[in-house]
Amino acid sequence: MPVWLREQSWRQTLTAVYLSLPLRGARATAASIFCSEQYLKVSIPPFLFEAVLYAPIDDTNSTAKIGNGNIFFTLYKKEPAMWDSLTLANADKEKLQCLRENAVLKAQEKAKEETEAKKIAKQEHKKYALEATMKVEEAERKRIEDLKEKERQKVTKELELWNNQQKDGDKYKSIQNKEELHQEIEPLKERKNEKMDKMRIPNEGTSKTRLKSTKGRGSCSIFSQSLKEEQLPAPRAAATIQVNFTPRVFPTALRESRVAEEEEWLHKQAEARRIINSDLSELQDLKEEEKNPDWLKDKGNKMFAMGNYLGAVNAYNLAVRLNNKLPLLYLNRAACHLKLRNLHKAIEDSSKALELLTPPVADNENARVKAHVRRGTAFCQLELYTEGLQDYEAALKIDPKNKNIEEDAEKIRHLIQGTMQN
Amino acid sequence: LGRGSAVSMAQQALSYTVFDCKWVPRSARLLCLGSAARGTGLVQLYELHGARLELLREIEKPKPIKCGTFGATSLQQRYLATGDFDGNLNIWNLEAPEIPVYSVKGHKEIINSIDGVGGLGIGEGAPEIVTGSRDGTVKVWDPRQNDTPVANMEPVQGESKRDCWTVAFGNAYNQEERVVCAGYDNGDIKLFDLRTMSLRWETNIKNGVCSVEFDRKDINMNKLVATSLEGKFHVFDTRTQHPTKGFASVSEKAQKSTIWQVRHLPQNRDIFMTSGGSGSLHLWKYEYPAQRSKKDSEGSEMGVAGSVSLLQNVTLSTQPISSLDWSPDKKGLCVCGAFDQTVRVLIVTKLNKL
Repeated sequence: MPVWLREQSWRQTLTAVYLSLPLRGARATAASIFCSEQYLKVSIPPFLFEAVLYAPIDDTNSTAKIGNGNIFFTLYKKEPAMWDSLTLANADKEKLQCLRENAVLKAQEKAKEETEAKKIAKQEHKKYALEATMKVEEAERKRIEDLKEKERQKVTKELELWNNQQKDGDKYKSIQNKEELHQEIEPLKERKNEKMDKMRIPNEGTSKTRLKSTKGRGSCSIFSQSLKEEQLPAPRAAATIQVNFTPRVFPTALRESRVAEEEEWLHKQAEARRIINSDLSELQDLKEEEKNPDWLKDKGNKMFAMGNYLGAVNAYNLAVRLNNKLPLLYLNRAACHLKLRNLHKAIEDSSKALELLTPPVADNENARVKAHVRRGTAFCQLELYTEGLQDYEAALKIDPKNKNIEEDAEKIRHLIQGTMQN
Repeated sequence: LGRGSAVSMAQQALSYTVFDCKWVPRSARLLCLGSAARGTGLVQLYELHGARLELLREIEKPKPIKCGTFGATSLQQRYLATGDFDGNLNIWNLEAPEIPVYSVKGHKEIINSIDGVGGLGIGEGAPEIVTGSRDGTVKVWDPRQNDTPVANMEPVQGESKRDCWTVAFGNAYNQEERVVCAGYDNGDIKLFDLRTMSLRWETNIKNGVCSVEFDRKDINMNKLVATSLEGKFHVFDTRTQHPTKGFASVSEKAQKSTIWQVRHLPQNRDIFMTSGGSGSLHLWKYEYPAQRSKKDSEGSEMGVAGSVSLLQNVTLSTQPISSLDWSPDKKGLCVCGAFDQTVRVLIVTKLNKL
C-alpha cells in the first residue's frame, strides 16, 4: 500500500496554480509524474499523491520542478477563474475512477497525436532534403551541359572558319589555275587529256560540291603534279607470299573463353575412337573390316537408306559392342528404332547420344539437333506430348532457323492444348 | 569536363546498316558506307554544320559496301576506294560515281577490310591499296595495274583457310619499304614485308583479331595495336624485333565485349581510341618505358613494352560501334558508326593538354 502524501500546499492566481509538494526524504529522481487535463498523479515509491483538479488545466504548458526536497508544480488554468479548492471535493470513488481512466485515455491519445505529428514533421524534412539534393544535382548537370555546349559552339565556329578559309583558298587557287591551265594546255594535252577535262569542268562551273575542287593545300598546279607522278615508282613486281595458319579444327573464330570446352570435346572424340571393347569371344570369327566401328556405321547407314531397318540396327548393335563411345552410332540407331516403332528404344538411344555429345560446342550442333528431334518424335508418338515439346524446344534453341522444327513444335502445342481442353 | 572527354556534336539516324564511316580529307564532310535493307550498297555524303549533319549526296551501288578508304588517293582527287560484299574492289570519283575509276573482282568472298597508303600527301612511294577478305587472302593492289594484285598473301595449297578480318599498312617511310599487317579470325597476326615479299613476323593472340593499326603509316614502324574478341587489345612495340620472341607487347582487357576498332589520333600517335561491342568508346594513352630496348642473355636486342592507361570512357549506344574515324584536319573531331543505324560525330576535348 502506497503512502499517501497529503501535505501539499498551494496558492493560485487567476491563470495559474502553484502547488508545492514536500517529498519527505524520498529521492526525487525516481519521481514519476502523470498529468492530464484534470488529473494529477505523482508517484515516488512508496509515496503516492493524486489529485482530481477542480478545473481543467493546460497540461502541455504546465511545468513541474523537482528540487529542494519538494516538487513545485506550475499549472496553467484553461479558464482563468479562481478555484475554490485544489481538488474536487465531493468526488466519490466511482467518479474518481472514471476520471482517472479518462485521464489515462486522454494521455494516450495525446501521446499518439504527438507521434503522428512527429512522423509528419520527419517526412516533411526528408522531402525537403530530397528536393534540395535534386536541385543541387540539377545545377551540376546543367553546368556540365553548358560546358559541353560551349565546346560544341567553339568547335563549330572553328570549323566554319576553317571551311571559309578553304573556300577562299580554293577560289583563289582556281582562278590562278585557270590562267595556268590556259598556258599549259598544249604540251600536256596528249598525256593528261582525261585528267585535265575532269579538273576543268568543276573550275568553270561554280563548284558547289567542292569535293573534287582541284586544289588542296599540297601542290599547286597540274605542272608540278605531273612531275610528282613521274617520280612515283613503277608498280611493284607481282609476287605471292604463301601463308600458313595456326591450325584450328573448328570452323569458328578462336575465342579464349571457349578454348577449354573445345579441348574437352576434341579429347573426348579422340578417346572415343581409340576405345575398343575387344574382350568378346564372338569377335574372333568376324572379318577384319567387320571389327571396325566406322565401317559398320557406314554399312548401317546404307541399309537404313535402302529401308532395311532391322539390318541397320544389327550393324549398329555390333558397332556399339565394339566401341560404345561414338555418339553417332546411338543417334543413327535411334532413327532406325523410330522407323521400326520401337519408341522406348529410340528414346533411350537419343538420350545416350545426347549424353555423349557434351560439352556442347558448335561442332556437334547438328548432331544435337537431330538427337533432340528424334527423341521428341518418339515422345509424341507415345503421346507424351509435354516431354516431346521440351525436346523440340531444345532443338529450336540450338537451331532457331529451322522451319520444320518450328512447325512441328507448333503442332505439338496445339495438340497439348486440345487434349487439355477435353 | 576532364581531359579527353567526348562531347557529342551531332548524330544522324540512318535507314540502313552502316559498316564504315570516313572523313573526307580537307573538309568537314564525312562518308557513310553501308548496306540498305534491300541488299544494295549505299554511300552517303554528309556535311557537318554546327550540331547537324546535312545529307549532300547519296549514291547507290548494286552490292553492299563493307569498307572504304581515302588512303591511296591524292589530295586533289580524293577518290574513294571501297570493298564490297561480293569481293569487288572499286575506286570511285565521287563527282562522277556512275563508273568506277578502277574496278577489279579481287576476292571470292566479302572484303572485310581495306587500307590505303601513299596518298593524301602522307608517306612516300606508290599509292597502294590492300584488301583482306573472308577467303583468307590478303592482296595488295596498285591502281595503275589492272586485274592483278601486286602482292598476294594466300594460304598454302590444300590448307584450310581462316577469314582475314583486318589489314593495315605501315613502315612506309621511304619509297621501297612497306609492310602489311593482317589479322585473322583464329587469332593470327601476320606481318608481311613488301620489299622482300616475305613473312616478317607472326603471332597468335588467342582471340579473333578484329582490328589492327600502326600508330603512323609513314614512319619507321613504331607501335602496332591489335584488338580482338573478348575485350582484349595488345600494343606491340615494333621498333625492336627479337629473332625468336618477336615484338614486346602489353595487353589490356578493356571490357567484356569485342573491341571492334582501334584508331590512333592523327595528331598524336600515342593516343588511340577503341570502340566496343557494348557501344562504348575508350580513349587510351600509351606511355613509353624508360628504356625501349634491352639486351637479353644472348646479347640480341629485345623490345620493352610500355604501359597503357585509360583516359576516358563514354557509352554512346547499346549496339556495337563498328567503325570509327578521326578527322585528320580538326584535332579531336571523330565520327563513329554503330549497328543501331546511327552515325555520331563527337569532339574529344582538351587533347592539347595530354
